[in-house]
Amino acid sequence: MRLILILLVAMFGLARAAEPELLEPDKAFRFAARLTDTRSIEVSYQIAPGYYMYRDKFHFTLGPPDVKPGEPRFPAGKKYRDEFFGEVETYRGSLSIVLPFELGDTSVPAIQLAALSQGCADIGVCYVPHEQKAELRLAALSAGAMRSDAAPGVFSGTGLETDDARIVRVFEGGFWLAIASFFGFGLLLSFTPCVLPMVPILSGVIVGTGQPVTKARGFLLAAVYVLGMAMTYAVAGIAAGLSGAMLSMALQNPWVLGAFAAVFVVLALAMFGFYELQLPVALQSRLADASNRFHGGHTAGMFVMGVLSALILGPCVAAPLAGALLYIGQSRDVVLGGSALFAMALGMGVPLLAVGASAGALMPKAGPWMETVKRFFGTMLLGVAIYLVSPFIPVSVQMVLWAALLIVTAIYLRAIDPLPAGAHGFQRFSKGLGIIALIAGLAYLVGALSGGRDILQPLSGLRVTASGTAPSAAPFQRINSSSELDDRIQAAAGQTVMLDFYADWCVSCKEMERYTFSDERVQARFSEMTLLQADVTANSAENAALLRRFRLFGPPGIVFFDREGREIQGLRVIGFQPADRFVAVLDQALTFRR
Amino acid sequence: MRARTIVLFAVVAGLSAAAGISYYLWSRGGGGAAMAPDSVVERVLSVRVADVKGESQSLEQWRGLVLVVNYWATWCAPCREEIPGFVRLQERYGSRGLQFVGIAIDQPDKVAEFASEFRINYPLLLGGLETIELLRQAGNRAGVLPYTLVIDRKGNLVSREQGGLKEARLERIIQPLL
Repeated sequence: MRLILILLVAMFGLARAAEPELLEPDKAFRFAARLTDTRSIEVSYQIAPGYYMYRDKFHFTLGPPDVKPGEPRFPAGKKYRDEFFGEVETYRGSLSIVLPFELGDTSVPAIQLAALSQGCADIGVCYVPHEQKAELRLAALSAGAMRSDAAPGVFSGTGLETDDARIVRVFEGGFWLAIASFFGFGLLLSFTPCVLPMVPILSGVIVGTGQPVTKARGFLLAAVYVLGMAMTYAVAGIAAGLSGAMLSMALQNPWVLGAFAAVFVVLALAMFGFYELQLPVALQSRLADASNRFHGGHTAGMFVMGVLSALILGPCVAAPLAGALLYIGQSRDVVLGGSALFAMALGMGVPLLAVGASAGALMPKAGPWMETVKRFFGTMLLGVAIYLVSPFIPVSVQMVLWAALLIVTAIYLRAIDPLPAGAHGFQRFSKGLGIIALIAGLAYLVGALSGGRDILQPLSGLRVTASGTAPSAAPFQRINSSSELDDRIQAAAGQTVMLDFYADWCVSCKEMERYTFSDERVQARFSEMTLLQADVTANSAENAALLRRFRLFGPPGIVFFDREGREIQGLRVIGFQPADRFVAVLDQALTFRR
Repeated sequence: MRARTIVLFAVVAGLSAAAGISYYLWSRGGGGAAMAPDSVVERVLSVRVADVKGESQSLEQWRGLVLVVNYWATWCAPCREEIPGFVRLQERYGSRGLQFVGIAIDQPDKVAEFASEFRINYPLLLGGLETIELLRQAGNRAGVLPYTLVIDRKGNLVSREQGGLKEARLERIIQPLL
């Protein structure tokens, strides 16, 4: 045994003594390049401590031949006298070189940069001339974003960001930045209608245990609840890390969303006071027994509540979550996935902790004011329920639902009750709101009955000009496999091709179809291109191969091909995009030339 | 129970030793691209490189001598520092069968200028991309200069040195080979 130990120590000793640590040239001289405008490139190097580069050894070449490099502009370096070369200038730390260029042909889509450099390390070695390459896309310049070789390929590229893409960008800044961003993100989410209604529910659960609650105990209970919630999200993050994007797919299934909408309705009705929201009596007595037997039985109950509430809230925050899950799935980084979602849930839990610490004092215990707050939250919950199922139901049904919600709310706000003579200011205000809700509700009702199609303009169906010119659905050709795609792209010779990835469960796809593709400006541009759609609902092997080909994990995703049938890099649309921005993307795709 | 414990220890120790050895080899030789020492020597000797006058040469002509192949460049300050020592060693042991060969990753005019200024008394050749690739395969993964190989009379690779080489150290390596 001792012999083996000695052997092991000797091994590691040998290994350590072998050579001084020497960085690979790409790590010693970290290279990046970006276009600053249409006539210059910024080449930058991050030189590791203990390493330096020679000013007069840089050599830049640009391709294609139409691109003519100008004289690079170097910052001042550190000068010293070399016994052989005379005066030599070197750089340490970060270095940024401006390389101007001229474009002979303005239709060049991308510039290839090859940078040759020479550098040394203080430990007494130099690197052989080292070439580093980058491709700079001019197509992306107008959109405001550039890509160098170092950037991850899938989501970078367009400057027109979607929500999903914005979340994805958060991850590029490093681990702790991602964690902090997610915490802040959770804090923001806690003020959405998804999470806020949980506040009175939680305070009810804490206060409603029968025993008097101290602040410390309230905080503890809230903390346990938040922890339960956070751990559930962490598990979701880890699952996303392991499974790819399957989780966000599962969360966007109509049945799942429908079930959760039902849960929200149940919660809302509790808010309206139709019944008292409590754990089932059997479970309650079990918990009471347990807490009698050992301390913390109630605590365990709170933990379970936290886990359940995370499951309930999950689909509600799914839209912003989808981008994060998509990224985590793509990165397959289990640690990052788990920690990021844990941090987000903690952020979401901050208001709940505040309520817990106040032992319910923040929420007035009784009185009509509290009732109003609860009803308000109940209404919000119902709204969320409608929002959740809206991608799967016809617009007219959506309108009827909104109408019902608004009109009933209006009645509760006493919109049609006469005001008493000496009415309080608050009563008048509330009646005003009620009447607004009533009129909006009526508008939706009329809209639904008159065949309105636009949820934002419920009465547009009544417009005389609008009658009979229902916008036809975009004429997408369905494709199912990679080879079919190639055939269609061939057949579309000379036309720009748009490939849309679609699935029945994909909420953003439906939104895109309903609000963006139906836009007249979008339709006008669609008429100039070949439209292909890959329906990956079935998730067959061919579907999967097609997604893999474009390094996508699932819809939503739109890819463009130029007139020669090659993909226009950096112009992908991931996630929902409103018509204004989508039109800009289409224009870029249509005018794109290689 | 005791036997089981011993077996467990043996397995753990065996695995650790294997891990240690592979880490050692990896940190010495570098990755999967590294060649066996014999084939390194064969490649180094057979590859054809131009001399300062532009004529193609191979190191084959010095086979059978104790060969010190030094990869260097004039722009590489640590490389230049060791060259006066090489010149002295070549002078002292050249008659006993020691042969230095310098392969420069550089421009011909600079090399020629440097050779006359430092009175280099051994052949200088000019390496290109192929030489850089060979360097990497020979275990110099990062592609650094100076890099020196010592080959004995039988064609065995005795030593590969990365970074500046002190005259006294090199002398200790070559003396037993002569």
